[in-house]
Amino acid sequence: MKILIIEDDRSLRMSIFDYLKMEGHICEVAENLFQASDKTSINRYDCIILDIGLPDGTGLDIIKELKKNKAADGILILSARNSLDDKLLGLKIGADDYLTKPFHFAELSARINSIYRRNSFLGLNEISFNEIKANTYDKQAYVNEKLLNLTKKEYDLLVFLMTNRNRIITKESIVEHLWGDEVILTDSFDFVYTHVKNLRKKIIAAKGKNYIKCIYGFGYKFIES
Amino acid sequence: MKLITKSTYYFFIFSIVAMVGGGVFLYFAIRKDIYKQIDNSLITEKDIIKDQIEQTETAPDSTATFDHQIVVNLLNYPVHKLQVIKDTVLYNSDLDDNVPFRYFFYSDNIINKNGYTISIFQILSEKQDLLGTISIYMFGLFLSLFLISILLNYLISRKLWSPFYKSVGNAGNFDVLSDKPLDLPETDIVEFQQLNNVFEKMTQKMRVDYLNLKEYNENAAHEIQTPLAIIRSKMELLMQNKNLKKDSLNLIKSINEATTKLFKLNQGLLLISKIENLYFHETRKISLKEIIETFLGNYREIMEIKGINVELEVSDNAIVEMNEVLADVLISNLISNAVRYNINNGYIKCHIDDQYLIITNTGLPLKTDPELLFRRFYKVSDNPQSVGLGLSIVKKITDNYKMKISYSCTDNIHETRLSYRVELP
Repeated sequence: MKILIIEDDRSLRMSIFDYLKMEGHICEVAENLFQASDKTSINRYDCIILDIGLPDGTGLDIIKELKKNKAADGILILSARNSLDDKLLGLKIGADDYLTKPFHFAELSARINSIYRRNSFLGLNEISFNEIKANTYDKQAYVNEKLLNLTKKEYDLLVFLMTNRNRIITKESIVEHLWGDEVILTDSFDFVYTHVKNLRKKIIAAKGKNYIKCIYGFGYKFIES
Repeated sequence: MKLITKSTYYFFIFSIVAMVGGGVFLYFAIRKDIYKQIDNSLITEKDIIKDQIEQTETAPDSTATFDHQIVVNLLNYPVHKLQVIKDTVLYNSDLDDNVPFRYFFYSDNIINKNGYTISIFQILSEKQDLLGTISIYMFGLFLSLFLISILLNYLISRKLWSPFYKSVGNAGNFDVLSDKPLDLPETDIVEFQQLNNVFEKMTQKMRVDYLNLKEYNENAAHEIQTPLAIIRSKMELLMQNKNLKKDSLNLIKSINEATTKLFKLNQGLLLISKIENLYFHETRKISLKEIIETFLGNYREIMEIKGINVELEVSDNAIVEMNEVLADVLISNLISNAVRYNINNGYIKCHIDDQYLIITNTGLPLKTDPELLFRRFYKVSDNPQSVGLGLSIVKKITDNYKMKISYSCTDNIHETRLSYRVELP
């Protein structure tokens, strides 16, 4: 995937860059509106990660420009927490998704993948890993082509783990992914544990392998052991 | 006790003492004067009789009227000279009663001859009547003076102190959050003017201090956010490194836990300061039923696993006018607490009527005072990840909308009661 990262904070920009590169994406960076529009006017990207607050203007201008040129680049807005106005405005003028800062990389990765799947002409609505398959169109998961009877949260968890395979996924990022921002104030790690346990049970019952490895203290890793 | 009552009270006591003292003194002074008058007239009478006896050596006729009797005896032996004045009573057959008299007795000798005695009785009742009348008038005068002065004292005090009470009342309504001026009454009394100045200065100082502190908190929380985000992002990168040894992973794990906690703290504090700053001022009509159902749905699977039974008793017109984000935060915190601190095979009951939202749930008995739970950084659980801000944010939100929230716990039944104002659709 070819990704443009537009973010003015150098440290954060480089972190995103490093992480996405590690995931195997091709990344470019821009640190202000000028550089960003320079790049977007020449190149096409599968996904643009866009910080709204830039030193020389608002990132919303980039979206307007892209939409005017009918460019199909996927756009993921990054912004400070609870800036509801930015969020609504951004989505209205054509951004694909919205992520509040600070975020977990696992979440960022999941969002980028989801944008990519939705935007791709190939109709990539399937994520698969060996015998496990998840269809993002009808939100069902299969093991050895056999339908798994998963609850909504278990399905979300499975997709989240699969899109972040081979990475350590912290419990915190799972909590935020499954329950959203509202529950940040309560700790729901025991809930995560319960969901992971049940998901694992259901996969094994369907004669799937146990790919969900517990990384004690951190969270989980979806990996072929 | 109010100052005006107190001053009136003291005035009352002192007036009573002064008036009773003065009354008694006056009574005895007048009485003494009356006696002196009577005695003088008795002595004058005696002098006249004495002159008559000494010149004529005959005794005048004894007279006896109802109120005055004179008895003169000429004796055939010499006597000692003696003069006695005292009170006595004489029996009056008409009245069939003893009547008080002033009794004057005098004995002397006619020069170098035999003695004589003069006894004069002067009735006292008339004089005593006079004394009584004077006393009654005096009492009446004193009493009316007394009442008038108390009333005057009360009225004057009330008028004098009214700017004081107004100032104190307005200063008591002072709210550091609002920028309304204090509105202290104008007064020409120097002391009260000083008091007003002090109030003015103090409240201004409080306001400035409060704003500074608030600004500092906001800035601090906001500025901490970016470095924290960087720490976390670098750490997430670091933990993906495949060459890490177990020791290093353990170190990162500890750092991650502490960072997460710091994150939550900071987010909670930011949220609180945003609520305080009325950042979430936009409101709309929100159906409590919808929110509750959404968040219960969020935990449905968890509740099924824990065997928690949910009962929902919701009135459809439970509509509340508030900010959407705050409503979400409020309800999600209450619901997630009810789920998280529940026991296996317990229950959650949500009851909403036109006045109350009541969430009742099973759980372990609470060991502390339920009111403490609403305090900032107060933690019941020994969970190291708990930051103790959830319920204090709930409290902040309810305060913001002037709702009342209370928490109670009897044995293993916990009840959260939220009294909200209803906007009928």
